[in-house]
Amino acid sequence: MNKFMEVLENILLPIAEKLNNNRYLAALRDGFMVALPLIIFGSIFVVIANFPFLDKWISPEAYTAYQNALGPASAATLSIMGLFVIMGIGYKLTQHYGLEAIYGAVVGVASFLILNPQELGEVTGVIPTAILGAQGMFLGIFTAFLSAELYRFFVKKNWTIKMPPGVPDSVSRSFSALIPITLTLTIFLIIRILFSFTPFDTVQNFIYTIIQEPLTALGSSLPATIVVVLLIQLFWFFGLHGQIIMNSVLDPIWYALNDQNFSAFQAGTELPNVVTKQFMDTFLVGMGGTGMTLGVVILIFLIGKSRQTKELGKLGGPAGIFNVNEPIIFGLPIIMNPLVLIPWLLAPVVVTVITYLTMSAGIVPKPAGIIVPWTTPIGISGFLATGNDWRGAALQIFNLLVVMAIWWPFLKVLDKNYYETEKQG
Amino acid sequence: MKRILLACSSGMSTSLLVSKMKDAAKEKGIEAEIWAVAQDKAQTDMERADVLLIGPQMRFLKKKLAVAAETVGIPLDVIDPVAYGRIDGLAVLNKALELIENNK
Repeated sequence: MNKFMEVLENILLPIAEKLNNNRYLAALRDGFMVALPLIIFGSIFVVIANFPFLDKWISPEAYTAYQNALGPASAATLSIMGLFVIMGIGYKLTQHYGLEAIYGAVVGVASFLILNPQELGEVTGVIPTAILGAQGMFLGIFTAFLSAELYRFFVKKNWTIKMPPGVPDSVSRSFSALIPITLTLTIFLIIRILFSFTPFDTVQNFIYTIIQEPLTALGSSLPATIVVVLLIQLFWFFGLHGQIIMNSVLDPIWYALNDQNFSAFQAGTELPNVVTKQFMDTFLVGMGGTGMTLGVVILIFLIGKSRQTKELGKLGGPAGIFNVNEPIIFGLPIIMNPLVLIPWLLAPVVVTVITYLTMSAGIVPKPAGIIVPWTTPIGISGFLATGNDWRGAALQIFNLLVVMAIWWPFLKVLDKNYYETEKQG
Repeated sequence: MKRILLACSSGMSTSLLVSKMKDAAKEKGIEAEIWAVAQDKAQTDMERADVLLIGPQMRFLKKKLAVAAETVGIPLDVIDPVAYGRIDGLAVLNKALELIENNK
């Protein structure tokens, strides 16, 4: 068993290293981090705008006026999150190369806008906000990468306009960016023109049809989600941060799915996706941390006899309420502990299946595209993520009981082992 | 004054450890500045630290951060998983002090 674990760790550690330290994936992760405060701001006002029972207390006209008044908060942030992600990626990638990062951000945004339609039906001179949200997510990410690379390439070529000595630094810097930006944006303009001669018409359409649609369709399926959940659990079993590793690859897909749901939620139409960013954050991680260890903490308080588990419950319990569970993972321990491997892998998969099926069947509403911070305690997070619906909270509580049932026999054995050792020693 | 920097994914789980380490430092009568950051801030904060400790779940950062740590001239290590699980502030503090001492 030890030999086998060693072999597995030797496979997983380099994968974790590659994924976490890859400069594009790191820029992507940090790019989403830049957008996150704005996304959460928008989400807060969606929650307030859809305050429960308010539509029954006040007149329909007053309710509409109330919602319209708060609408811009999310329309300017959550709905167009792609824009901020592009800025973040462009900035972080350019910063990584040691160049002036703000130019990486603006060149990314401008390149993206060049590629996109600047008309909506008959109206010209507008930028459709839909492309700044979920629809343009993948194109935005690719554009941010490519434009930052081109910008860097042209800066390194050093075809910059040299200023004579004595010219203030900031003046010469603004000119030094001129040629690289001009060349980069020209390339994107040419790409746009070339694509207008293809059957796809726009690059946006091309990326969406060829890459985004198939990938999001795959990412929203139950089998793919189970595989991802198992991988996250497996990484953690070896004490490696599974989310950080998997999120850097899957966040674009989950956020795109999330935004589709949000658009539908705002429009009052049926929500298309079950698996979204919130499915992962609220209904899996939001159950006390990765592997839903809040159930384990409660079990410790209910059946724990050994000093070791009881101490751990007290130590890890409070943080577990806010879904921080490293004390449990390293303290129980869960890492490299064959005794708990089965519930560690099984419980999240069972919860994933239950959540997926109840949401697909309409018993529990699907996530409304509202981003709830992953540190929000169980119950509250489920309520908020489903657009202020008590069934979201009820599902979390039900799943918590399922997790406890799965863990019960295994924790009992583990606790007994500790208890016996303590008695002898 | 010892300046000890801890890094993990978002700086959240290590901040649990930070408060325990501060308690341990006070008890030992050591003047120390101890703080936790997310991985993307580790590189910049390193410049005003004497030692960098990485959360065991982010140990795949070690290779990347080791390069930066060498330029700044500070030692770094991954926190022992057992001490991390027990949130054993004293053990981690002692380890940090030992690393600083050996670096002199």
